[in-house]
Amino acid sequence: MTAAPTPSRVPPKPRTWPRTLAIWAVLLVITAIAASPFVGIDLGAGFGAVAKSWQNGVNKLLEMFQLDWRILPRTFPPLLQTIEMAIAGTAVSAILAIPLTLWSARLTNPWTPGRGVVRFILNVIRAIPDLLYAAILVAMVGVGALPGILSLVMLDVAIIVKLVAEAVDAGQTGSIEAGRAAGGTQFQINRALALPDMWPSFASQTLYVFELNVRVSAVLGLVGAGGLGLLIDEVRTYFHYDQLAVIILELLVVIVLLELGSSWLRRRLV
Amino acid sequence: MTARANAEVGDTASPASAPWSIRLDEVTVRYRNGVTALDRVSLDIAGGEMVSIVGLSGSGKSTLIRTINGLVPVTAGGVTVGGTRVDLAKGRELRRLRGEIGMIFQSFNLAGRTSVLNNALVGRFSRTAWWRSLLALPTAEDKALAFEALDRVGILSKAWTRADALSGGQQQRVAIARALAQQPRLMLADEPVASLDPPTALAVMNDLQRINRELGITVLTNLHLMDLARRYASRMIGLRAGRIVYDGPASSATDADFEEIYGRPIEKDDVLG
Repeated sequence: MTAAPTPSRVPPKPRTWPRTLAIWAVLLVITAIAASPFVGIDLGAGFGAVAKSWQNGVNKLLEMFQLDWRILPRTFPPLLQTIEMAIAGTAVSAILAIPLTLWSARLTNPWTPGRGVVRFILNVIRAIPDLLYAAILVAMVGVGALPGILSLVMLDVAIIVKLVAEAVDAGQTGSIEAGRAAGGTQFQINRALALPDMWPSFASQTLYVFELNVRVSAVLGLVGAGGLGLLIDEVRTYFHYDQLAVIILELLVVIVLLELGSSWLRRRLV
Repeated sequence: MTARANAEVGDTASPASAPWSIRLDEVTVRYRNGVTALDRVSLDIAGGEMVSIVGLSGSGKSTLIRTINGLVPVTAGGVTVGGTRVDLAKGRELRRLRGEIGMIFQSFNLAGRTSVLNNALVGRFSRTAWWRSLLALPTAEDKALAFEALDRVGILSKAWTRADALSGGQQQRVAIARALAQQPRLMLADEPVASLDPPTALAVMNDLQRINRELGITVLTNLHLMDLARRYASRMIGLRAGRIVYDGPASSATDADFEEIYGRPIEKDDVLG
């Protein structure tokens, strides 16, 4: 077998290696700067500290492996509260996210300034870490599940709206044009045509933030915002690593189970 | 045309009044990227006519048809439909005008994840209260109109099916029903059969012809195939590079006329077969 002769009309292959090389060079330089003791983190000292105190770390780990199951009954009420917070936060944010998503997508809201304002506010909300919201809200409304749920809602709305609005804008424009041609208002078009089409992506992202909420609400208690975090904070303060390990294990099992359930549900819905 | 004279009681899919004429007066459309899609086009179409617009892709056919319901704003000139200036209409008035003008598209433009009935009810948008849209509670009359429109194109049995579960030909029929549910005085069709196989294409063209003949509605169709234009339109308008290069009876248009419209010799792909 002989190779087919190359036709002379084949355009020359574009030269891409200079760009690839440049990208790698930039990455390398940034890493080098960040790891240099004068500018960034002193990695050398860090490794030194690990080497010096490794015995301490090993002791803590060994302590953790001796699980103290007596804590288990005490974990159930706060664990239940954590899951309740996750469900409540997801439900409230899902309801709020529907109109905000339709407002934020170009296809469902042609008014650019109005869209921009909401998108900007949501970007700011997303940029602030959830623990910070919880800390501030605890100061405002007091210790308990409520500040936890409120901070979950803030973050969830921002996440759902961003991801689903992007999916809406990447979707089909045809039915929207047809609705406009039939003399529909934007509101009618959004309700009757855009909403059914955005449903799969909306359901999928809502399930995703639910998974996120279970994880986040487990630590929100560290700043007093209810749930399992309060208990985690307590046992950690008293150096009960054997009990902490039980809580972590329990949380792991719950999260894995919930994620299995939600990914099963997602396959059904989409 | 007296097709409207003997509407029976309950024949609700028939238009309530006379078909609309179309008048384009020196219409120019220039897009923001600098392309001139229509160049001083003037046109008069009487109510009840069946007209095809023929031209290659890029000739301005789609733009022309979209100026008639205001989906594409004109840069200069005037568009008058049924005695009203579409290019000057805004907001509520424009929506009311559009409500009287049915439109079907090359890619059907249905909402795939909702039922065939809901897609047909889109045709009632301009006469539906916002809270009825919000709650998805159409009036009994609107529902009856949608069902009747679906029945007219022979797709009533699929009323509860999801639109994306239908074949291309069935989807285009639902799109026609959506337009018929508007009880339109004018029907626009932008390459309605370009995405369909030949037998289905002929069936859909027959539907459009029946709408014109039985309901007396003005029908304006973009086509790029010679034989379809000759067979299904009484009048043909040829567009090339945004200008009208032919305007005359469709059946007697010669191959030379088509070569003039296309700006090149006839090819095998210019007919459906």
